[in-house]
Amino acid sequence: MWARAVGEPPILEFRSVGARRGDFDILRDITFDLSEGRASFFMGAAGSGKSALLKTAAGLRPADSGEVLYRGRSLAHLSRKEEAQFRRKSAFVFQDGALWANQSLFDNLALPVRVHEPGSSPAEVERIVRRVVDLVGYEEDLKTRPSDLSSGERRLIALARALVLDPELLFMDEPFANLDEAASERVVGIVAALKERGRSLVVVTTRSDLVGRFADFIAVLGSGGLMAFGSYDEAVEWNGDAVRALTGRLKPRAAASEAAWGMAGAWADAFAEDGAVLESEKAGKGANVKRDADGGRAVLGDIINALPEEDDEAGRGGEEERT
Amino acid sequence: MLDRLGRSARRGAGEFLYSLGFFLSVVKESVLLVRRRQVGFRVLVMQILFTGVEALRISAVVAIAIGAAINLIGSSLLAEFGQSRLMYTMLIIVITRELGPLLTAFIVIARSGTAIATELGGMVVAHEMEAYVSVGVNPISYLAAPRFLGVVISMLVLDVYFNLFGLLGSFAVVQLIKPIAFEEYFRNLAAVLRPGDLGMGLLKALVFGVIVSVVSLYRGFSVERSSTEVPVAGIRAVGSSFMLVILADVVLTTIQYVG
Repeated sequence: MWARAVGEPPILEFRSVGARRGDFDILRDITFDLSEGRASFFMGAAGSGKSALLKTAAGLRPADSGEVLYRGRSLAHLSRKEEAQFRRKSAFVFQDGALWANQSLFDNLALPVRVHEPGSSPAEVERIVRRVVDLVGYEEDLKTRPSDLSSGERRLIALARALVLDPELLFMDEPFANLDEAASERVVGIVAALKERGRSLVVVTTRSDLVGRFADFIAVLGSGGLMAFGSYDEAVEWNGDAVRALTGRLKPRAAASEAAWGMAGAWADAFAEDGAVLESEKAGKGANVKRDADGGRAVLGDIINALPEEDDEAGRGGEEERT
Repeated sequence: MLDRLGRSARRGAGEFLYSLGFFLSVVKESVLLVRRRQVGFRVLVMQILFTGVEALRISAVVAIAIGAAINLIGSSLLAEFGQSRLMYTMLIIVITRELGPLLTAFIVIARSGTAIATELGGMVVAHEMEAYVSVGVNPISYLAAPRFLGVVISMLVLDVYFNLFGLLGSFAVVQLIKPIAFEEYFRNLAAVLRPGDLGMGLLKALVFGVIVSVVSLYRGFSVERSSTEVPVAGIRAVGSSFMLVILADVVLTTIQYVG
């Protein structure tokens, strides 16, 4: 089974990937391409291999057979320098946060910066950390340890850690789970902003409503195998029963985007700033968003402006190439 | 039966090769850590603080008690054979060469070996290791190498410290039985102390430090998924460390006497 969006460069490729745990196949002969700048959502029942696939895609667990390619290079054969670059440009949001318990929240957020930007001064590191903390809307003391946080707060800090270097490729394992309403809306807004910036998103979720809002591609996993993959229509054509069983009746993409922007707009009231401009507008890119959702534009502009400046150019460049 | 034995032998050989590779990887990353002063340097300082500095009190208590006991036993036993002058030789051999490194290793196993194995095991279960990998931090470089160096450095320092307090404890007992001047006591000790005794003591401390740290790290990293594996990792770290330290002690002592 193989799937790919024609004409778009793949950022990640699975080639007959299999993985085992003991005598049990957790992934079986999985082949697909993930296009750059797109949001791919993986769904499936518990134990279907979603998280294992995500970790294999992120190079956190090796494939027992087949290979995973990042920009055409096998993850298993990256040089030390290439792997450092891959880690610099990708990030993983773990289902349970996976914050480092023996470090303060600040150090949790600062470590990726210290590793990948070793020349950064303490003031620069602090500036980057503060920016990403503002982005996720966490307002408490950063000197505390992760054990002092609620489950939802840990998830927000985990998301902040993943975003601290503004990755081009973001893996997210159930990013919307265990969040209260406000935090969930914040995360939804951030996902929308990342999508708008042309970041490649690989998301495992059971939230079919969010799949409808954000997914460019849907993958359905069952018993470690790929049961369907592609745009919603392609996936339904491939295996309509499996897709409908998990997604229910999804709205078409355009209407789903409108719903996402409408929600972001409502949430934006407290944050909206006059004159906030979408990056897509700066870049003259249309994108698949409804342009008259003013509230949504404002708050997403707020989020986008909080993301690192230096990579804005690269992000726009990437978007221009794709359009 | 034969089939099972073969499988077991193959598994054992595989685990041995894997642990050898792990050991070499830890040594390599430790060298790089020292040369590059990477982010893990702070972890090294914390490990020395925990394994070395915080163990000073218990180490001093054990050393003084052992030194006193050796003097009490030795002075009565040797006097029966008219060999009281061998007291200083016995103190040097037993404390500096044998018990100093061995008991220091036991203290480090009990305090730091279990702590390292269970801490790392807990981090595996909580996916913290994967989180390190995901941000580009090599867990061997950031977590294992500083702990390895920290335990080895602490072992060497604690061994010297143990020797000093062991000999001081003995001196305290001497004051009760047959008081002599502090200078005379240490002059007598220095007269029988050979560089080989000090060297062997330090070599043992070094080897034991390597064993305790690598075994504890290996056991911690061996945890796979379940939180119930964490205490098991701690127990195995202690058991394996004790066994290997004693084996290494036998080997080194044999080499010294036979070789």
